[in-house]
Amino acid sequence: MIVTPEFILLSLVVVTALAFDFTNGFHDTANAMATSIATKALSPKAAVALSAILNLIGAFLSVEVALTVTNAVIRIQNPDGTPRADLVADGGHTLLLILMAGLAGAIIWNILTWLWGLPSSSSHALFGGMVGATVASLGWGGVKWIGDGTKLDGVIGKVVLPALISPAVALVVAFIGTRLVFWITAKIARRYQEAGFRWGQIGTSSLLSLSHGTNDAQKTMGVVTLALIAGGFVDPVQHEIPLWVKFACALAIASGTYIGGWRIIRTMGKGLVEVLSPQGMAAESASAAVILTSSQLGFALSTTHVSTGSIIGSGLGRKGATVRWSVATKMVLAWLITLPSAGLIAAGLWWIGYLVGPGAGDWIVFSLMCLAALYMWWHSKRDPIGHHNVNDDWDSGRSKPNPKPKVPVSGGVG
Amino acid sequence: MNQVIAALDATWRILAIGVLLGAGLPALFAVGVRALAWGTAAEGDAPDEDAKLEPTLVGRLVAYTMFAIVILAVLAGVGYIVAHGFGLKVTFNGLMPVITPKS
Repeated sequence: MIVTPEFILLSLVVVTALAFDFTNGFHDTANAMATSIATKALSPKAAVALSAILNLIGAFLSVEVALTVTNAVIRIQNPDGTPRADLVADGGHTLLLILMAGLAGAIIWNILTWLWGLPSSSSHALFGGMVGATVASLGWGGVKWIGDGTKLDGVIGKVVLPALISPAVALVVAFIGTRLVFWITAKIARRYQEAGFRWGQIGTSSLLSLSHGTNDAQKTMGVVTLALIAGGFVDPVQHEIPLWVKFACALAIASGTYIGGWRIIRTMGKGLVEVLSPQGMAAESASAAVILTSSQLGFALSTTHVSTGSIIGSGLGRKGATVRWSVATKMVLAWLITLPSAGLIAAGLWWIGYLVGPGAGDWIVFSLMCLAALYMWWHSKRDPIGHHNVNDDWDSGRSKPNPKPKVPVSGGVG
Repeated sequence: MNQVIAALDATWRILAIGVLLGAGLPALFAVGVRALAWGTAAEGDAPDEDAKLEPTLVGRLVAYTMFAIVILAVLAGVGYIVAHGFGLKVTFNGLMPVITPKS
């Protein structure tokens, strides 16, 4: 076969999509496991291993994958999931460049927030990247900003409103749950209280991990298949997800989970509030209940927002616990800017790719993303956080910038 | 504006079911944990931290019933996730779950 620029771009898009899936995995390990690690219900390594296995199983459980992941916010597909004909007329290049820039923007934002130790939503990053690349390519009309009538849709209905509502709901549920469990178990020895709830925590964390695998892996499966349709490798009428796509996506998200976003786990498990195991179980139950109920009602929310809301709620619910509002405020700020930031990065990358032109432009977008990722990874080495120090005291100075060494000035008068 | 109304409509449902399951089930679990300590030295206004836990028969029965309810609920959650993954839609006819293919 002839290697066309479109084929190369398609390969780059697939690799980038899998890389996004990987960042999605490590960014979200904290949602299910942060409190279990903080209360020592599970050792850090056991927690990420369990979560990775459940994500893998969950990913394979996604038998029916919707191709319409991006349909909620952008107009690059027909209602049945096939790409718009005008975007694939040039061998799919127009559509592929949008996907490429969108995914690259999402990855860069995910890694940046990981570097900062902030749990931001991977789905918001993905939607933001796609919106940014679409606006750059097709103009403002390419984005579905708000849904029609009472069906929740568009950027407002699928992203903005759920982001405002879901953490608040989770906070209330976790607050009530924490109050109840501490009230019921107030009069028993602390030792048995802790031990009993650790078992409960393992169950609820596992449920959250499984649900994450089924929900998030299939977003990437949908994007990869869309790219393959655009490149003409998958029949747009049948649009079956190829088996290798499922395997690759499942492995990418599970290995990401196993790597563990320790910086984010630390912020959620130790930074927001000191978590005791009854509190951890209440928080995780609240997250699981809110996530599953919302999925039943078709309310698209972000697991990250729910988990954070639950942890804060559990901190407010336990008498004597203090919520570090400075940490919480930073997180909320990160949520607010996730969609626009990923969008701006993606739009910038799209313009670079477009101006340089097919072929070289695609490589430049891909290389810029790799360079940004490598730079941030290198930067993280200055203040490494891993399974060995994830549970250290938050205020002990580890999380603060290194104090300037006081080197006595030699010579002179001082 | 319709979007906001639709979102608020979903909100109160999620809140109601969320409180029922998300706060109710840990509370039942807590009753179980408490029941294991019923009538032992590990329970009281100043519980003996070093007491060995020897649950009474009633305490044991209550505790295991509570744990069983919570485990069943978690399994129901797993079943729900699996059904969704296979493209099935779970609706509730009263309390009885009905599984149908997604349209």
